[in-house]
Amino acid sequence: MNGLRLAWSYLRIGILNEFQYRANLYIQILQTFIALAVGLIGLQLVFDQTTQLGGWSRTELLAVMGVYILMGGVIRAAIQPNMERLMDDIRNGTLDFALTKPADAQLLVSVREFRLWQTVDVLTGAIVIGVALAQLGWSLSALSALGFLSALVMGAALTYCFWLMITTTAFWFIRVNDIANLFEGLYAAGRWPVDIYPLWLRTGLTFLVPVAFAVTIPASALTGRLTFLTWLGALGLTVLFLVVSRLFWRRGLKNYSGASA
Amino acid sequence: MKRYFDYYRAQMKIAVLQEFQYPIAQYFYMIGMIAEPVIYMVVWSAVAVQQGGAVGGYTPGGFAAYYIVWTLVRNMNIVFTPYGWEWRIREGRLSMELLRPIHPLHGDVAYFAGWKFVVIALWIPLAIFLSLIFKPDLHPTLLEGVAFFFAIWLAYLIRTMTLSLLGMITFWTTRVSAIFELYFAAELVLSGRLVPLTLMPQWVQDLAWFFPFRWAFGFPIETLAGNLTTSQLLGGLGMQAAWIVIGIVATNLLWRVGIKKFSAVGG
Amino acid sequence: MSLAVNVSSLTKHYQVPEREAGLKAAAQGLFKRRYRTVKAVDDISFQIPTGEVVGFLGPNGAGKTTTLKMLSGLLHPTGGSASVLDFEPFRRSHDFLRQITLVMGNRNQLSWDLPALDSFDLQRAIYGLHADEFKKTRDEFIEILEVGSLVKQPVRNLSLGERMKMEIIGALLHKPKVLFLDEPTIGLDVTMQKRIRTFVAEYNQRYGATVLLTSHYMADVEALCKRVVVIHHGKILFDGNLSALVERFSAFKTVAFTLTDSASDLTPFGEVAARDGSRVTLRVPKEKASEVTSRLLTSLQVEDLTVEALPIEDVIASVFAIPKEAA
Repeated sequence: MNGLRLAWSYLRIGILNEFQYRANLYIQILQTFIALAVGLIGLQLVFDQTTQLGGWSRTELLAVMGVYILMGGVIRAAIQPNMERLMDDIRNGTLDFALTKPADAQLLVSVREFRLWQTVDVLTGAIVIGVALAQLGWSLSALSALGFLSALVMGAALTYCFWLMITTTAFWFIRVNDIANLFEGLYAAGRWPVDIYPLWLRTGLTFLVPVAFAVTIPASALTGRLTFLTWLGALGLTVLFLVVSRLFWRRGLKNYSGASA
Repeated sequence: MKRYFDYYRAQMKIAVLQEFQYPIAQYFYMIGMIAEPVIYMVVWSAVAVQQGGAVGGYTPGGFAAYYIVWTLVRNMNIVFTPYGWEWRIREGRLSMELLRPIHPLHGDVAYFAGWKFVVIALWIPLAIFLSLIFKPDLHPTLLEGVAFFFAIWLAYLIRTMTLSLLGMITFWTTRVSAIFELYFAAELVLSGRLVPLTLMPQWVQDLAWFFPFRWAFGFPIETLAGNLTTSQLLGGLGMQAAWIVIGIVATNLLWRVGIKKFSAVGG
Repeated sequence: MSLAVNVSSLTKHYQVPEREAGLKAAAQGLFKRRYRTVKAVDDISFQIPTGEVVGFLGPNGAGKTTTLKMLSGLLHPTGGSASVLDFEPFRRSHDFLRQITLVMGNRNQLSWDLPALDSFDLQRAIYGLHADEFKKTRDEFIEILEVGSLVKQPVRNLSLGERMKMEIIGALLHKPKVLFLDEPTIGLDVTMQKRIRTFVAEYNQRYGATVLLTSHYMADVEALCKRVVVIHHGKILFDGNLSALVERFSAFKTVAFTLTDSASDLTPFGEVAARDGSRVTLRVPKEKASEVTSRLLTSLQVEDLTVEALPIEDVIASVFAIPKEAA
């Protein structure tokens, strides 16, 4: 449990640090507001022309958007900043500082950064989900709620694995910004349920970039679409990816110490 | 004149050499960028199919044409960003540029123009790939092709100037990202980037007339993927030229005031 | 002799917002800001004749960089006048810019990912240099600085010192008549510093260029400049020969000798600055130096006695220790 304590103390420092820059909170609120407005405009434009899209109603798509915003907030608050710092550290050779600490290195590099203000997105996403659920008449069963929460956690875990693998294996030929750009671009596909995309793209968004797991599957749970089988599959994949990314990390670390020696 | 020509050539060459250093990075960037129109394309094609084959005059093939041309236009209107201005002022780069006997804006225009050659070279395979999958309904006439060629370069200049104007706000205040974000959101909706403007409610289409956005995005796409009449083509190019004139005047004015402020406080 | 730089009563004031700690003060600051005037450069005057190399000394924040920026045209003076090659710098006319250069040791101009040669060619285009002449100058500089094998490598693969050599070549390709060098050797090792120093001296000799140089390394100044201008708190403290500076500001001398009888108590003679076995260095007030020397020679058994001025670094440090009111 040493690890949890460590994560908690980093989190505290991160939060205290963010309070130094309170102006960023207002900028974040504005950005969230703009993103929400643009999302709603897009939804409005589509449903000006049609009443359903790929079997999803307007309200259901609002729920998808809520999950999309919420998960985006989680990624930008806790996952992306850590991975970007890791990439910088690898590049500048300052990773040694992290490696010489008496804790599991993977855990350490995954909890060093936390962007508090990004949780504005998490909150906004939750509100949007709430509005959508209200419009659906609060027909959510306890089981679905449980399915939703567990799917969110698995989605976040898979996204984390994706970032960790890209970061540890690809850092030597791409720049930090490019990965962030790529991810942001592909993640934007999650604004809509992945089943509207052509098969090749859907496959990519499921297994290459875990957008389907991060957004569509939790949203499916909310709207009563998630089957037990899919849930089980998601669980299996999450475990698999956690193990694989751990192996990737070990491998990358070996390379790193080889290169810097 | 010959000097400027020579300078542009040298700066563009630097841009090409520099940007070809990281082809993989360029591809990452481009794939991330292309995800955006692909999403729009898929969504709108689905809507069109549900509505019996077409929506707002666009068939799935029409949307494919619109959004594939979109990718080229988007590449063309990548320019020096306002965030870049913030950085160049904060890091003192602008000071060094001011000491050269050539206007820094020439440097921006030339560098990004050079980068276009790299971008287009890398874009072609992606465009072919997208075309094979989405089967765009694209039959440009020769006139449209010629108009498109001019329209994308004029669009490049328009966006260079609007974003330079935006970036120059950094001369006065450093808390600019909020302004930038608002601008980009307005651009997204009013330029034809999110959806073809003809799918927008009428009042939005009317509103779009008063901004430069569509002339740097939607119009060039429509020259190739739309069915504009000859007079619409020429009129559009004329509007682009007019915005460029306005842009040059405004950029010069703001630059002069801004640089006065800049050299009072130093970089 | 004609003047390359003529500065008279040059002044630069900044208005900086004054903020007190605490939330309340910060909230008040949103509506009404109080400003304080900082006199970065306060009524300075000096002239530099064509072809002279002048060292511009002062601690951080003394106003050196502000002055260099005003002379190169980046900053508009608050008062007074400056003329460089008979131009008003802040107008930044292209004819003026073509004849000067500003090198800042901590800023880089070259494209990071490209070989320096490509960046040099861009300089050629920027300054509209004639191709043949450009090649001649470039190759000459490359040869003097011995970087022939490096100019084809991406700049990012070069060491800090090698990169600085490239920066300097790039900054001088248009053969400027006036050089403003702000810490050109900062962070470099001793041999690199020396190379760059020699190059500046050679450039000055060959083209009769005027150089105004700031540096933290006194070795740079000693090697290049006969004359130094010392600026502190925005005012000129001293303008003259380097030796005169030492003479004027050095309150102490060092007396060094070897003791043959090692047990002596030395405190009556002065402050012991260093003691290495039998070798002793004393720091004594300048006016007492001769008296102490004779007392040492009569009362102790000493050998190899020398009396020297303090090292230039120490002198400068004592100058900068002068508080603002006294300056």
